[in-house]
Amino acid sequence: MRNFIFSFLALILLPAYMSGQVIKGKVLDQTGIGVPGAFIVAGNVSADTDFDGNFSIAAKEGTILKISLVGFESVSVPATLTPMTITLKESKDTALKEVVVIGYGTRKKIDNTTAISSIKAEEITKTKVLNASQAIQGKASGVQVISSDLPGSTPSVIIRGLGTALGGRTPLYVVDGMQTENINNINSNDITSYEILKDASALAIYGTRAANGVIIITTKKGKGEKISVEIESFAGMREPLKKVKMAGSNKYSHYSNVALQSTTFSQDQPVNTDWFDEITRTGTYTQNNISISGASESIKYFFSLGNYEEKAVLNGLDYGRTTFRNNNEYKISKKLTLNQNFSFTSGKSAPKPLSAFTNAYKQSPIVPVYFPDGKYGVSRVGNDGFASETGSSFNNVGNPVAQLNFFDEQQRSVTLQGGLKLDYEIIKSLKFTSQFNGEFYTWKQYNYDDTKNIWLAANPNKVSSDYENEFPNANINLLTKGREQYFNWNMSNYLTYNEVFGEIHDVELTAGIETSVKGPREKLTIARKNVNSNSNYWSLKGDNDYETNITSYQDEVFNETKLASYFGRFQYKLMDKYLFTGTIRRDGSSNFGKDYRWGNFPAFGLGWVITKEKFMEDVKVINLLKLRGGWGRLGNQNVPLNNQSYTSGPNSYLGGSILNLGTTISSQIDPSLSWEITEESSVGLDFELLDSRLKGAFDVYDKNTSNVILNTKPYLTSGITSASPAHVGEVSNKGFEVSLRWDDKITDDFSYWVGGNFSNNKNEITGLKDVILSPVIGGGLGNGQDTKLLDNTTVGQPLGSFYIYQYAGFDATNGKMMYYNAAGEKVTQDALNANTDKKYVGSSLPKSNYGLSLGFNYKNFDFSVDGYGTSGAKVYNGKKAQRFSGENIEESLATDFWTTNNLTASNPAPFNQVPVASTYYLESGDFFRINNITLGYKLPIQSNNLISSCRIYVNAINPFITQKFSGFSPELNGDGNPYGTQGVELDAYPTLRSFVIGANLKF
Amino acid sequence: MKKIYIATFVFSTFFFAGCADDYLDVDQTESISTKDTELYNNDAGAAQFVTAIYNKFLNWDMTSFGWIGLSSITSDDADKGSSPGDTGTDKDVLDALTYNASNPSAESTFIANYDGINRCNQALNIIPKLDKADPNLRARLIGEAKFLRAFMYFTLVKCYGGVPIVDHLPVPGNDSDRIMQLTRKTSAEVYTFIEADLNDAIAALPEKTAYSVNERSRASKGAAYALLAKVSLYQKNWQKVIDNCNKITGYSIVSDYASMFRAAGKFDSESIFEIYAQGAAPAKGIEGYSNTQGARGTGGWGWGFNSPSQSLVNAYEPGDVRKAATIIFRGSTLYDGRVVPNTVENERYNYKAYSSAYTDAWETDVDIKYLRYAEVLLMKAEALNELGQTSNAIPLLNQIRNRAGLANTTFSSQVDIRNAIWRERRVEMAFEHDRFFDLVRTGQAKTAFAVDGKVFTVGKNELFPIPATFIKQAGGLSQQNPGY
Repeated sequence: MRNFIFSFLALILLPAYMSGQVIKGKVLDQTGIGVPGAFIVAGNVSADTDFDGNFSIAAKEGTILKISLVGFESVSVPATLTPMTITLKESKDTALKEVVVIGYGTRKKIDNTTAISSIKAEEITKTKVLNASQAIQGKASGVQVISSDLPGSTPSVIIRGLGTALGGRTPLYVVDGMQTENINNINSNDITSYEILKDASALAIYGTRAANGVIIITTKKGKGEKISVEIESFAGMREPLKKVKMAGSNKYSHYSNVALQSTTFSQDQPVNTDWFDEITRTGTYTQNNISISGASESIKYFFSLGNYEEKAVLNGLDYGRTTFRNNNEYKISKKLTLNQNFSFTSGKSAPKPLSAFTNAYKQSPIVPVYFPDGKYGVSRVGNDGFASETGSSFNNVGNPVAQLNFFDEQQRSVTLQGGLKLDYEIIKSLKFTSQFNGEFYTWKQYNYDDTKNIWLAANPNKVSSDYENEFPNANINLLTKGREQYFNWNMSNYLTYNEVFGEIHDVELTAGIETSVKGPREKLTIARKNVNSNSNYWSLKGDNDYETNITSYQDEVFNETKLASYFGRFQYKLMDKYLFTGTIRRDGSSNFGKDYRWGNFPAFGLGWVITKEKFMEDVKVINLLKLRGGWGRLGNQNVPLNNQSYTSGPNSYLGGSILNLGTTISSQIDPSLSWEITEESSVGLDFELLDSRLKGAFDVYDKNTSNVILNTKPYLTSGITSASPAHVGEVSNKGFEVSLRWDDKITDDFSYWVGGNFSNNKNEITGLKDVILSPVIGGGLGNGQDTKLLDNTTVGQPLGSFYIYQYAGFDATNGKMMYYNAAGEKVTQDALNANTDKKYVGSSLPKSNYGLSLGFNYKNFDFSVDGYGTSGAKVYNGKKAQRFSGENIEESLATDFWTTNNLTASNPAPFNQVPVASTYYLESGDFFRINNITLGYKLPIQSNNLISSCRIYVNAINPFITQKFSGFSPELNGDGNPYGTQGVELDAYPTLRSFVIGANLKF
Repeated sequence: MKKIYIATFVFSTFFFAGCADDYLDVDQTESISTKDTELYNNDAGAAQFVTAIYNKFLNWDMTSFGWIGLSSITSDDADKGSSPGDTGTDKDVLDALTYNASNPSAESTFIANYDGINRCNQALNIIPKLDKADPNLRARLIGEAKFLRAFMYFTLVKCYGGVPIVDHLPVPGNDSDRIMQLTRKTSAEVYTFIEADLNDAIAALPEKTAYSVNERSRASKGAAYALLAKVSLYQKNWQKVIDNCNKITGYSIVSDYASMFRAAGKFDSESIFEIYAQGAAPAKGIEGYSNTQGARGTGGWGWGFNSPSQSLVNAYEPGDVRKAATIIFRGSTLYDGRVVPNTVENERYNYKAYSSAYTDAWETDVDIKYLRYAEVLLMKAEALNELGQTSNAIPLLNQIRNRAGLANTTFSSQVDIRNAIWRERRVEMAFEHDRFFDLVRTGQAKTAFAVDGKVFTVGKNELFPIPATFIKQAGGLSQQNPGY
């Protein structure tokens, strides 16, 4: 194919070189500085200006050159043989020129009827984080990003509220046409645009995959005539943004003695271990990128190589990622263009258990990291009241340093992503596009558990032979190896027709078909015991010990899913001011039963550019006023599968010693189970005022998911005890979004901007059919306590609601914690009734979030600040709620608790009991954080130098936060599940503050 | 070029329109789809669906703690046992007959039996489709499934009265199936359904002797007759009791009563239908059955529930060997030499749940003999007596008494013999999950419980409450039992 393309290319282009002359020139802006990236068209030939504004184009003298660039007014001039100088005037109404990606096409922003947030490339790379979605936090209204600074973690992105309880919550990412669910493999430096489709009329073109929103990412292409090389490098250090002050040894001893009503612990401790310090280090991270790009008339090319390395704040946790990308565009003929993109990502990581953070929080400071003889410290106390190897155990917390040191795991992954896109102009107004994209992922991992030595470290009073005696058949160690891979692909073919009739009727039609296949994910996991402790010998050739030492072997192939789709879109513009968009998508999904697999997803949008009306002509203060609105229907097909399986396992002897296999079916599947349907109506207003210095948008929406899938309890007489998913719930999301930005240029040397956005969303489970739900119990603390519930009683509450007891203060007479029961009486926790006394007390999902941004450019300096905040979320202090005996406490508690001498303390008396989940541990998750401060300086470099541009910068990420939460971080993504550990600080990675210095060079 | 692309486009449109639906038929790979019946289309495959039903009887909810509570602790034969403070969830209120509508044991037993019925219905649904399996085997398996379904409906009708009859696999969303699952039938309708299943089973099942050593716990023709006799007994269909008892051939009572409840007595000549358990690894026994009833405290091996009552001790006539075979007394030495020390918490424990080889294991080798030939004799005696043939009933009763080391009965009138048979049933079948239902069946409950110092409310305590969740699901189609 490629040979064919090249020869074809050569044939097509040869005549053009033969016949033309070369016209050279320079494009300047009004200040006389060269303008890079301007587009020059001469008949059928086109070119771009380079970084200094120079261009050359094959055209005959006298041909009309049309020069255009976003943000400037287009000019047309006849070509001259002498070098030309063309000055572009900045256009006032930039919105008229901006283009947005709308899925299977682009649209001028002014002509678009839907709600789309476009994030520019520089905004994505400004905050030095790994995943682009983390970088856009606070930069788009209506988009909630809950991220974690754990290297390699995936942030949760919630667009206009969550509409599903059991289904997939991730938005659909479309990376250069590849539909995927994760963008951890994308180097942010390669991204040229990041667009978030927010309302149903924009999303419906993606049908059953659109209910959680769609993010379209476009990566860079080559431009400019000469080869340009760009190098971007930074290095930074990271530390926890906030620490929790724990009690020191003597305060710990005092508190614990009171709790135990004994004098177990000496109050003059020789050791005072700060466990958090012991398990953390100053994190470092670096990123280096180099890209080479350029273009000729027939080819645009872009290569980039990037490397990211992080030594995380948690001891031993390392992460690295190397990316390579090549995007080429071949102009095969006047009518035929081929785009090829390819990316390779290799990731490697040495993970460490995050429970080390919880153990560091809980472990007593009297325990040394190592005893004097070099053995790991353990929580045993001797008769002298000091930690000792042989004393009695006083808590069941391990040594977090030992935990990290013994944890030995490595993971590696490779992701290949790429595709081909062919555009063919059949006739001038009709274009055919064919696109194929694929994604291959492979992953491997090992985990080595040094079982015996871990036991010996936890029992310093025991020797090696004790292990064999106490556990005669136990393994010495356990090696787990895993491998996983999948291949997903999708292919689309569509036609785009665009024509203007009678000068005022602008019609664009798109129609196509598509298929997406999520190939079967294959996973192999093998666990072997008693392997050689030297990792070189883990895979000896022909080692027949394997057979006897394999403790588990799993070879899994997960179900493949396929999607077949038809889609169409009709866009109509009347007199440049009345806009209409209608879309329809018909999707068939292999996830569902034959009669329930096809669905239609219609949508429409209307727009009215009010400023183009006659009566607005005199209103000079308003530069743009556009009203838009729409309605659409979306689906979420990533819901619990309705595949029914045989149940094996009910085996039985039938009178002898032969165990007979038994099989039955113990599930009930509703054959009509299908996607969740979300309908949304929305209205928005875009405006630009005061010479377009003030720009903004206001949006309101009403989104309703009417057939949410929840697990129901089958009729008791069906004999089916497992929960049966059914379309029984209803979830509503209503909200509004505002964004405003003021840009101004005071002098040629000084310009500044101030911007912000605010989004509010009301999420509520509004209805439930007449069924009995099988409850979803979540937010478990690992000590028998759970914090969240979704069942029949949850109607009227937001998703992710905490369901716990209400703390009623402590009894002043004895310092015991009291709780309200259903009757409103204060009782102790033993008198509580789990069925009646718990209450819904708010959700882990914020109600509002907001972003602020300001900055200025002065001469060669640039400075910007971004802030982000949320309100209305609750967080549960899970690590604190785990203490029941002998664990450490926070200093604020150790110095102020109830005793007979301190009846008015702010904390209850010490106790030794697992505390029930209650509002005592529930705190406000509201926070405001400065996400990023950047100061950059562009070195004054002569334009004829080898280096054409050099900018150095310093960057502070998350330098400040104001939070009400007493723990490490109120931003707790956890497992990303509102019914999982989201919003619960337990085994959570802290938010980090990072300082970065970097440089960007262009050649 | 242009033509090629247009052709491709048009072609692919056809492709989608024409076979998109087949294109979307993706076979499951992560588990075996229930659409794939072919995998089980052979003798062994067909048998698996019935094995799963037998497996249900080993389940905790089906046969263990809750069921012990309902069928035994409630009766005058047993007290709750265990430590005074350990309620065993609800065993205290079961013992005191003060349970309410949300009784966990009543709920779990209801759910477990319907779970078993689902397994029967799954087997009855799929086995006829497995045409590559031996037709004779399939017919027998269907017979077994029907017997087992009848057995479970009998448990349900005894416990709860009329219940919904789920006679086929319901289709979710189908309205008539919804009504079927949610509407209680009358007891008479349930009995008719049970009899129909048993008659089908009788036609399909072989005699017990036809089974190999490894299949002795399968349902047999004799078991179906015996259950039909018992079902008739509950309906006071005396002639039918006699007719069915007469068809039970090839069984005899064993000479040593105590031997029946030990490992050596499995499938003896008296056993008609028993739940078979194996304690040797991989163990498949009745979950927690021995453990929950084992002696509690220092020197004990279990939780100590279902303790034989003083009332039961008093019911044995002097010289009755069954007392020592049924009750473990604190401080005694068991048949295997184990000494039950005086440090255990309760005076008496259930000997019939004791496993010598796997004493404190969760799954032991203790079987439950649900149908014994001794009961057949007693049922026949009762029916004969009710039909006025008292003199024919007396020798049957004496057979049972003599085996227990007791002399012939001295009674002779119909009324006295009736009472004598009822008394004999109690001591013969103590701790075999029959007493409570027998008291209700014979109308002795109120007086019997009064002796025990408990109030049996006539019109209420005959039946257990239907689970509240079910009443809620039924949304008016079914009502709770009276008094709850």
